[in-house]
Amino acid sequence: MNNIKEIKNELLQDSYYEIDHASGLKIFVYPKENYSTSYAVFGTKYGSIDTCFKAEGEKEFTEVPEGIAHFLEHKLFESEELDAFERYGKTGASANAYTSFDKTCYLFSCSKNFDKSLEILLDFVTQPYFTPETVKKEQGIIGQEIKMCNDDPGWESLFALLRAMYHRHPVKIDIAGTVDSISRITADLLYGCYETFYNPANMALAVAGNVSVEGVLEVADRILKPKKCRKIERKFEAEPASVVEDTVIRRLPVAMPIFTIGFKEDIKTPERTLKEVTESNILLDIIAGRTSPLYESLIDEGLINTAFDTEYFEGYGYSAHIFSGESENYEKVRERINKEIEKLKKTGVDEKDFERIKRKHYGSFIMNFNDVDSIANSLVGAYFNGEGLFDQLEVLESITAENINSRLRNAFAVENSSMSVIKRD
Amino acid sequence: MSNIGYEEIARGVKLMCVNSGKFKTNCIYLDFYMPITDSLAAQYVLSSLMGHSSERYPTLKSFNAAAESLYGADFDSSVATIGEKTRIRFSVELPDDRFSLDGEKISQKAVDFLAEIIKNPCCKDGHFDEELAEREIRFTLENIEAEKNDKRAYAVSRLRQLMCSDEPYGIDRDKLENNVRGLDGKKLFDAYGEMLKKSSVFITACGTVDAQMLKRKFSGLFSGISGREPEKPETIFIEKADRVRYFKETMELSQAKLVIGLRTGMKDSADSYYAYRVMTDIFGGGPYSRLFMNVREKMSLCYYCSARLIRDKGIIFIQSGIEDENYQSALDEINAQLEIMKKGEFTDSEFDSSVCALSDAFSGVEDSPAAVCSYYSSQAFDSEILTGSEFAEKLGSVTREQVTACAQKVTVDSVYLLSNGENGDE
Repeated sequence: MNNIKEIKNELLQDSYYEIDHASGLKIFVYPKENYSTSYAVFGTKYGSIDTCFKAEGEKEFTEVPEGIAHFLEHKLFESEELDAFERYGKTGASANAYTSFDKTCYLFSCSKNFDKSLEILLDFVTQPYFTPETVKKEQGIIGQEIKMCNDDPGWESLFALLRAMYHRHPVKIDIAGTVDSISRITADLLYGCYETFYNPANMALAVAGNVSVEGVLEVADRILKPKKCRKIERKFEAEPASVVEDTVIRRLPVAMPIFTIGFKEDIKTPERTLKEVTESNILLDIIAGRTSPLYESLIDEGLINTAFDTEYFEGYGYSAHIFSGESENYEKVRERINKEIEKLKKTGVDEKDFERIKRKHYGSFIMNFNDVDSIANSLVGAYFNGEGLFDQLEVLESITAENINSRLRNAFAVENSSMSVIKRD
Repeated sequence: MSNIGYEEIARGVKLMCVNSGKFKTNCIYLDFYMPITDSLAAQYVLSSLMGHSSERYPTLKSFNAAAESLYGADFDSSVATIGEKTRIRFSVELPDDRFSLDGEKISQKAVDFLAEIIKNPCCKDGHFDEELAEREIRFTLENIEAEKNDKRAYAVSRLRQLMCSDEPYGIDRDKLENNVRGLDGKKLFDAYGEMLKKSSVFITACGTVDAQMLKRKFSGLFSGISGREPEKPETIFIEKADRVRYFKETMELSQAKLVIGLRTGMKDSADSYYAYRVMTDIFGGGPYSRLFMNVREKMSLCYYCSARLIRDKGIIFIQSGIEDENYQSALDEINAQLEIMKKGEFTDSEFDSSVCALSDAFSGVEDSPAAVCSYYSSQAFDSEILTGSEFAEKLGSVTREQVTACAQKVTVDSVYLLSNGENGDE
């Protein structure tokens, strides 16, 4: 029996349905009136940071090669007969997949034949097929994907920063692994990871657009078989509050030095609440957003250009506030960011700036509800974080300037910050 | 959807409003088209300058705060070359009026803001503020130089320059940088005047924004500009390459970037377009394509190998990231796949998959205001404006024979390798 709950939002005048499917899978359906497209994403809470784990009933922890979650994502598209792409070829859907630090998602969008495409998605993700030959073939392809990322200085700068900040947490390893680590991946290891992480209790399906609960359930009831849910224990070694290195510099062919500065947060619990995440995003806008005095003065003095940006970067066991950009004088930029943070800690944030930026975040929340891909991916992300899709609105309304001041005092320690720089040869 | 098609609201100014209440936002694109000339450098700086300041909001902080106050309205300005046309775009997307907390008509304010940017930029007595000009020249130069950071885009840009060196399309980056360096507040003001007088303007809007209000606002604005004489931008289509040229450059890279430029045989952007689109897709579009299935899946030579049709110039670009030592085998395989296309030896299943995927994609282009604006504005110069479904139908009626006929007209013009230099010089 499938248990169905409707979740409404008065402001947006939208609803979605949360379904506890008989197979053990959580399913979300977000119908969009008068839309012609549909989008589906089937995800597992399994990403590049899950390198050491134990499934229920197992005695020992298993340690797996770096990049295996991403490798598995590539290989799941294959089957003994037609691969998934060939099957989608008959429905016209545009299909893809991605692996992040903490999840792997398989998706498609279409305007016709939704039921058939959903059937393909649910079928291939639940039917693994790996052989030594197909694993070997993929090592060449992913090897080239890794090298492509190695030529992206922004990407390289971020990972150099993560290695400078984190002593042990696997967030510092590249999502796709290395050419060396993926050479150790075997079909058996892939089956092991698959059996652990691809079980309904660790997964979610979200669809949005021209869809209905009945339509989705008709396919899900037919394809998804109940599977024994296994609890997963993940092992992360304790991460100190301190950083590994203050500054790291690498040389690559870039036009101007690229810097990435991270303030590592000393976290007592592995996960951040939605309130903390929202506060952090507002805070970054206040410190260095497009309307901040710091941004304006760094621009006026020629220290940064419009590539400058901020990001709150967090997941299980890691949290950092990141500032990135291009500058010939990155040391000076870092010094100015530090000074601004210390100043704001003393003075507190400006009430007027806070209200304007809060209004901007209210607007951004609304603007997320046009695109079916953003809705479906956010549904899966929110569920894996233990939140509801509309929760952010209430959280945002509850945030005060004092909350922001307190977040600033607690999450930013200049002594626990690192900077990575990519310089030209 | 309603009101499909552009209406002329002032000399050389056309407006199209797609009214739809199904979205959470309103979106407006304001596009200025001119031929690519030496003014391109000034146009780059101008777009940046006008996207960061106005008479009323002269500082970055006040300008950005104005946008932020409109519920985080996403204002943007950009320059793109579409065939041999330059397009300066000012765009805005913001929450629909029904979400404003105090009943304020924020769509009206966004339109006022756009008009203010165009009508009252930060200038006086015939020149832009020199300090402002200097800052924007720096941004533009740093932006152009930063293209080198994106190696894939850089490789395509280099091939484009080398392959089309005798055409306006082959923009010379060094010359562009030099021209940017030579600008000042006065020259930028002249370019601003030129933009207002000589551009063909297209305004595309989607959402619940009041079409009549838009019409009044912009017909008034442009009718007030004296001596408007929009120039019609034309693009040279070179139908055939008479020989293949090979280029190789080196950079310290992990992976070599291979880019191949083909002349399609198209006489203009409308010539057999739908058949060319399907042909390019079977050849190197989706995961069912010849290049993906063979160069990547069968031979494991790369992570990406794809072909893209540049409709407005009648060119196809093929891109792949490979090991230097695999250059010849990748090139041979790509050529072999092109031969298969010319002989019509692609399978029925590949043909069907392609038509099905393309038709499906175009049937769904009208599900976000930005997608609607982007889709319709791309047809600005077309004689007939098609809805997504009509476009999908055209693609669906393409035949195998038409695809083969298109492939037979394709010639390889230039092959470019951005090598990591490990394999010695040729």
